[in-house]
Amino acid sequence: MKNLLRILFPLLVWLASFSAIYALHGLGCALGWSNVALPGMSLFRWLLLVSWLIALLAQGAMLMALRSRRFRSHDTFIHRTSLATSCAGLISTLWTLLPVAVSGPCG
Amino acid sequence: MNALRRHRKLEAIWSSEPGWKGWTSSVNHSDLGRMFLFTAFFFFFVGGVLAMLIRAQLATPDSAFVDAGAFSQFFTMHGTIMMFLFAIPAFEGLAIYLLPKMLGTRDLAFPRLTAYGYWCYAFGGSMLLVAMLFGIAPDGGWFMYPPLTGPLHSPGINTDFWLIGITFVEISAICAAVEFTVSILKYRAPGMSLDKMPIFAWYALVTSLMILTGFPPLILGSVLLEVERAFGLPFFQADLGGDSLLWQHLFWLFGHPEVYIIFLPAAGIISTVIPVMARTTLLGYGWIVASAVALAFLSFGLWVHHMFTTGIPHMGLAFFSAASTLVAVPTGVQVFAWIGTLWKGRPELHMPMLHILGFFVTFVIGGLTGVMVAVVPFDWQAHDTAFITAHLHYVLFGGFVFPMLAGIYYWLPLLSGRKRLFRLGELAFALIFVGFHGTFMAMHWVGLMGQRRRIETYDADTGWGVINFISSVSSFVMAIGLAMVLVDIIIHAFVAMRGRRNPWQAGTLEWASMSPPPSYNFASLPEIRNRDPFAGDPDLPNRLAKGEGYLGEPKAGRRETLMVDIATGRPEAVVVYPGNTRLPILMAAVTGAFFLSILLKLFWITPLALAGVAALALVWVWQLGSRTDQGAQDAGRGVTLPLASETDRSPGWWGSTFLLVANATFFGSLLFGYAFLWTVAPGWPPAEWLDPSWAELGLGIGAALVGSIALRVGTRRNRNGTSPQLALVPALLATVVTVIVFALLLFRLPPPDGHAYAATLFILGAYGLAHALLVGLMQGFLILQVRRGFTSARRQSGFSVVGLWSDYLCAITVLSLLAAHLPGMAL
Repeated sequence: MKNLLRILFPLLVWLASFSAIYALHGLGCALGWSNVALPGMSLFRWLLLVSWLIALLAQGAMLMALRSRRFRSHDTFIHRTSLATSCAGLISTLWTLLPVAVSGPCG
Repeated sequence: MNALRRHRKLEAIWSSEPGWKGWTSSVNHSDLGRMFLFTAFFFFFVGGVLAMLIRAQLATPDSAFVDAGAFSQFFTMHGTIMMFLFAIPAFEGLAIYLLPKMLGTRDLAFPRLTAYGYWCYAFGGSMLLVAMLFGIAPDGGWFMYPPLTGPLHSPGINTDFWLIGITFVEISAICAAVEFTVSILKYRAPGMSLDKMPIFAWYALVTSLMILTGFPPLILGSVLLEVERAFGLPFFQADLGGDSLLWQHLFWLFGHPEVYIIFLPAAGIISTVIPVMARTTLLGYGWIVASAVALAFLSFGLWVHHMFTTGIPHMGLAFFSAASTLVAVPTGVQVFAWIGTLWKGRPELHMPMLHILGFFVTFVIGGLTGVMVAVVPFDWQAHDTAFITAHLHYVLFGGFVFPMLAGIYYWLPLLSGRKRLFRLGELAFALIFVGFHGTFMAMHWVGLMGQRRRIETYDADTGWGVINFISSVSSFVMAIGLAMVLVDIIIHAFVAMRGRRNPWQAGTLEWASMSPPPSYNFASLPEIRNRDPFAGDPDLPNRLAKGEGYLGEPKAGRRETLMVDIATGRPEAVVVYPGNTRLPILMAAVTGAFFLSILLKLFWITPLALAGVAALALVWVWQLGSRTDQGAQDAGRGVTLPLASETDRSPGWWGSTFLLVANATFFGSLLFGYAFLWTVAPGWPPAEWLDPSWAELGLGIGAALVGSIALRVGTRRNRNGTSPQLALVPALLATVVTVIVFALLLFRLPPPDGHAYAATLFILGAYGLAHALLVGLMQGFLILQVRRGFTSARRQSGFSVVGLWSDYLCAITVLSLLAAHLPGMAL
């Protein structure tokens, strides 16, 4: 079961972070966080960017862990496939959450 | 024992009853797979006739062929039948028939569950057909948006048929998904490690996990809408704190993964057929597995792209637009892997290959228009036009029907043991291909000219008449082609000559059984050393027939197979299956009585039907019990293994684990709905909160924890050989307290028909109460089993299953009570 989870887990983390940031976005718009100004940008933008960074770091950590001796699978097929899904998770996090940096939050 | 004698003994053990009686009592996967496929294609025929009626109506402007009401029923039932009664069941049927043969085993994990799933599908589908015959079929479109389908705008029974009938049918999909997941992970031939699994099994595994997590949001949505319609709880009514957008979220949380639930099995067929047709091996097996997994996950991040015109903020739209474009990448990886496989091999243009080529052309066009509608400004222009109808047909027909037809022609010699006689299929393919593109290419065009989907007629001066006429004529050409496929298959089944085994020279295991396969699949189970075990080993079928594999000696009328380690395929236990029984059809009938009682508002039958289902479920489990330890079993080839029912990770534990994954998704969707209404819906906060109670909160959480812990103590005591009763009785008492706490919650709520807040808490409380009653029943049953001697230190599987459900009850009790009581305390 652990081997299967090694393949599934990186994208599960993407799905969790994607859903969480979408929920945060809904909550922030409902509570008017975009109107709270902080240096450089609104509180809401800060929150979204920090959340995105955390999601990217989590994906990066996952990739490193699956490459490490401690957590890697001894099965070559599982090892390679888990690295592929881990890279997919990292790219997905980078691309699908990019709008937090470039799009207007509640317009 | 010689091969013939072994065959006769195994047939006597595994075969179904002769004649029509066998249909009702068979639990054999080959029988049920064929029944699923036959029923699914019957529904495909019905859905196709409806499509022809739709196209007849739209062929000319100002048509009076049917009125608007009938037209609404036609397009609703066409979409509903094709999605729920054809596509998913056709995959289920194919996988039920093929998977055990491909995996080198004798049946799926839970044969009676396969039969129960089939009968739920047949009965639920029949309900919808009956509604159509009486002219009261659903008419709100296949995605049933409220408020159109709410009690105010659709007061008739039409919508109820959809909500109840489809929920009934979805039981079948959940059963099949649990079945496939456990079977693929645990019921394989010895030595078949994950990297040696046939690629179709990987796709079926990914699809099954998607069904387990994709269907529950729709089941929840259907329950909520039906409860709103029947009892007035306002989940989707904006004036009472509800929001119709909640339905769209729940529906498309299911609906978009559904597209890939339909496509991925088809991709499994393509990945299986192409290497055989190209006389080579699949290029990039690992990349394809990773792509299928990525596609599955990404498909859960796309649902809002069906809601781009609902006024969601730009950033929200951008998230889903980005995800929608990204999903093309893993799809592209698979398409390039298939092209690469063809490139490195020596492709031969047999009949299945024609449909594969049809798939390539059609699906790639559908994928490209998919990327177009993923771009928000384009979607705003094309939304709800015939362009979208055309796009979805390119994806679904191209991505499912063409590969299914390829699969049928590929596996037909296995199913029938015959070889094709006439060349009708080639002409049929040409008509289908030309007809399809004529129909839907024209529909793209007329959609871009502004024709909305689902309109029953249009004026002559719109300029859409000629294009619609071309589309309608082409659709009839396609229908003639599909009818010719049917004729071709009937001729093949009844007239064609006997063929030889493995006519395609394929390497997968299903071809190593006889054609058509016997009821037991393999006289003995093979040891697997590579991904194509039959390739380069033509003597494999003979050795298996001689009993040189595992479980080669039939024993005392027992239906046996092996359970293996997930990663390595190392044999772990011997499984003994139940025999033929009418329990599944009876239980499906009683389940149907439950759904019918709600549909017809005969609520006095509802508790009786529920009690009936519970009683039959207890009989179901009771029949599996044993009063004596069986000990180590001879598995053949010098290997002895325990019985699966005498391990702590029994088949029941695995089944419960994956069923709870679906259950937890349902619960999570309910919490999502609660949070969504709270933050987005108008009319919040409610006028009246639940009066919070620390005592109820503490008592409920405490009882749930005690119940879970006591069950663990009982399990440990049983394992150590001491009496578990001392722990089981407190566990049951704690569950009774949990029942009381949930009943109190329901009793003390503000009126649930007054506001969506109270309505949501009512459903949360009812969900908790139902689970507490269920776990109480399971614990009581376990106590009875202990008293009657059905458990021992070795026969411990019941403890692990009930323990799992007790832990789940503990988790949902804590979360439900916190969600119910904390807001009142904080506000």
